[in-house]
Amino acid sequence: MGNVAADAAKEAANSGEIIHYLAQNTFLGEVNMQTMYMTWVTMAIVFVLFLLVCRNPKMVPSGLQNAMEIILDFLNGLMEDNLGTKGRKFMAPFIVTLFMFILVSNELGIFLPQIGVHWTSPTNDINTCFALSLLVAFSAYMVGVMKQGLGHFKHFISPSPAFLPLHLLDAVTKPLTMALRLFGNILAGEILLIVLYQLSPWVIPELWVMFSLFIGFVQAFIFTILALGSYALAFASHDEH
Amino acid sequence: MVNFNATLIAQILNFLILVFVLAKFAYKPVVRIMDERKNKIAGDLEAAEKAKDEAEAVKAEYAAKLANARQEAQAIIDNARKTAQAAHDKIVAETKAEQDQIIATAKEAIALEKKKAMDDIRVQVISLSMIAAGKIVEQKLGSEEDKKLAGEIVDSILKK
Repeated sequence: MGNVAADAAKEAANSGEIIHYLAQNTFLGEVNMQTMYMTWVTMAIVFVLFLLVCRNPKMVPSGLQNAMEIILDFLNGLMEDNLGTKGRKFMAPFIVTLFMFILVSNELGIFLPQIGVHWTSPTNDINTCFALSLLVAFSAYMVGVMKQGLGHFKHFISPSPAFLPLHLLDAVTKPLTMALRLFGNILAGEILLIVLYQLSPWVIPELWVMFSLFIGFVQAFIFTILALGSYALAFASHDEH
Repeated sequence: MVNFNATLIAQILNFLILVFVLAKFAYKPVVRIMDERKNKIAGDLEAAEKAKDEAEAVKAEYAAKLANARQEAQAIIDNARKTAQAAHDKIVAETKAEQDQIIATAKEAIALEKKKAMDDIRVQVISLSMIAAGKIVEQKLGSEEDKKLAGEIVDSILKK
């Protein structure tokens, strides 16, 4: 990470905060480098997981391929229920990537002291969570318009125009709550883990690590389900008309 | 801790890159193999169901054939038994008839022999009695009339 990162880490450590993002100025503007590094690690892990399975997929699966296929089958089932077969085929790579990315992100943060480097979850950064939830929200509109034309926005005034304020409120709060729920759960989990390690070096943090593993899965699952709910509008109403 | 900056844009880009990379290189082969397996299992199940149905049909056919064969065999056995019984009855009847005939013939022969013996005895007795009577009356008896007379006498004695 270089001297700059080390300096930034020292600076951050002196600032008295537990979680450090190592913000730096880049060509994009101020970027949290810790989040970026961990995101790249996450991307690499997700990619390698898929690569190991896809390089030579077997008719009779075993080991990792089995595990990945269980996840894929599970997500395919969810998509089939929410988006229909056409929607599943269209959205599958996005939804599967979304789930895997959030799952791996969430689980990365629990290896805090064991591997000697400062690993955190990319999802402990509110920027990541909002990036994902806004991406879901806006891509849902894009897919809706792609599939149904501008008529897609008619759902804002259904069943009657009087519901417009409620729909607008929903459109704003849905991405907001998705992002904040994920962010809050993961950040709180990491802070609590650090605090527990200061409290006791063994046993108690491990219990929390086990629970965090579960929370990481649940949060990835919830985020995926809510994203599917957003996309369902783009596909389901299309079938009804 | 909660400060928005350009990380948001970078994360969107990162995620989209990951989506495109996975969609291009990773997702499709896995889904293809899963679909292939699904189709294969469905096909195998269907084939197994079909094979089972065929086996059931063959089994039913064999059962029918077996029942038929059993019935036929029973018919053959019954027939054979009937034929044998008829043959047996016929042989017994023939044997009995033959036996009766033999007995009748034998009886006839015996009667004939008896009659012949009686006739012989009669002739002997006639000549003996004539010799005896001749001796008694010292005269030669030999005319046809005498023989007839003597025969009557002998007959009346033999009949007693």
